[in-house]
Amino acid sequence: MDQKQHTDHIYIEALLKNDSKVLSKIYSKFSHKIVSYVRKNSGNADDAQDIIQETLVTIYHQAKEKNFILTCPFDAYFYLLCKRRWLNELKKRGNKRVTILEDDTSITEEQEQQVEETEIFEQQHQLFESKFKELGKKCQELLKATFKIKSMEEVADFLGVTYGYARKKKSQCMGKLTQLVKNSNEFHQLKAY
Amino acid sequence: MEELRYIEFDNYLNHELSDTELKSFEEKLKTDADFKQEFEIYKALESSLASKFKNEEAEKELRNTLSSLGSQYIRPIENSKKETKIITLFNYKKLMVAASIALIISFFLFNNGKPVYGDFSNHSNLELVVRGKNNDAIVNAEKAFNSKNYKEALQQLTILSETQNDIEIELYKGISQLELSNYVEADVIFNKISAGNSSFVNKATWYKALSLLKQEKYEDCKRVLKTIPESAEEYKQAKKLLKKL
Repeated sequence: MDQKQHTDHIYIEALLKNDSKVLSKIYSKFSHKIVSYVRKNSGNADDAQDIIQETLVTIYHQAKEKNFILTCPFDAYFYLLCKRRWLNELKKRGNKRVTILEDDTSITEEQEQQVEETEIFEQQHQLFESKFKELGKKCQELLKATFKIKSMEEVADFLGVTYGYARKKKSQCMGKLTQLVKNSNEFHQLKAY
Repeated sequence: MEELRYIEFDNYLNHELSDTELKSFEEKLKTDADFKQEFEIYKALESSLASKFKNEEAEKELRNTLSSLGSQYIRPIENSKKETKIITLFNYKKLMVAASIALIISFFLFNNGKPVYGDFSNHSNLELVVRGKNNDAIVNAEKAFNSKNYKEALQQLTILSETQNDIEIELYKGISQLELSNYVEADVIFNKISAGNSSFVNKATWYKALSLLKQEKYEDCKRVLKTIPESAEEYKQAKKLLKKL
C-alpha cells in the first residue's frame, strides 16, 4: 500500500501501545471541542467522555486488525467521528426535541473517506459481535477458545475432545455464524460489500 | 453439504488444501458468487474474532487509561459547575487540587522568574494514626507541625522516632528539616524513603524534588520530578512544577 502516513499517526500508535502520555494530548488538545458540541446538543460531559472513549476504542480495533493508517490530520477526523457517534446516540435515545446545531467545520474529501472507513469498520465489528452472541453457548465457547489459544491441538485438549472433532466443530460454528451474518438486514446495508 | 463447504474454507485459510483441491477451490471462487460471498464473510469473521479475542486484555487496559484521562480532563469541568450537588469527599479533594492550582497559577502571574519553594510547599497536615505510649508527644508534634512551628515539631518527632519505627514520622521529620533548611539531614531521609517500598515512596520523591528546588538546584529537581509516575497523587503537582522550571 502506498498510503502516506500523516504525522498525527502518532495518536494511532499511542492507542496501540496504550501510551498514556501521548493519549493525554488527545484529551488536552481535542476533547474540549467535542465536549462543547455534545453539550450544545442535549448532552453532558459524561456523554462526551463516553463518546470520546468509544471512538478511540474503535480506532484502536481498526488499527489492530486492519493496520489502519491515518493519512489526514487527527483533529478533524476524530471530531467528525465523535460528532456522528453522538448524533447516532441521540437517535437511539429517541430524543425528538433535539435541534442539531451545525457547525462550520470544513472537511476534505480525504478526511471524509477516512471517517467512513472507520465507521464501516465499526458497523461490521458490531454486526459480527451481535451475531456471535446469537450462537449457542457451546459454539461461543469453542470459538472463543479457538481464537484465544490459536493452536487447535491445545484447544482440543482444553475442551477435552479430539483434535479432529474440534476442527470439525469449529468450522461448523463458523458456518453457522456466516449464515447469520449473511441473512441479516444489517449486512445488506454495509457499504463495504 | 453446507458443512463441507465450511471445512473447505477452514482448510483453505490454514493452507491445508492439496494442489488439485486448491485449483478447484479457486475456480469456485471465480464462478460461484454465493460461494465467494460466504467465503468473504467467513474470512472477515475469522479475522475480526481473532483480533477481538486476542486483544481483549489490551483493550481492557486501554479502557482503563482512557477513563482515567477522561475524568482528569473532562469531568472536573463538569464538577465545578454543579453547585447544587453534594460535594463528596472525592470531589472535595479534586476541588482542593483545583483551588491550589489556581492559587499557584495566580502566584506565577506576579512572579515571572523561576518557581520558588514556597509556592509548592503546602504540606498536608500531620495526623498520625499510630497511637502508642507517647500520646503527648504525638499531640505536641501534630500541633507544632500544623502550626508551622517546625523546630518544635522536629524535636517531638525525634522523641517519637526513638520509640517507634514509623515511616510517616520519618517523612515529617524530613519535612521539618527541610523547612529549617537543614538540607543534608532532610535529603538523607527523603532518599531513604523514596528508595524503599512503602506507600510514602512518591511523596518522599516529591519532597526530594522540593528540597532541590529550595536549594535552587533546578536541573536536579527536574530530573527527580520526572521519576514520579503518573499514577502518583503528586504527579499533577510535579507536572506543574516541571512546566515552570
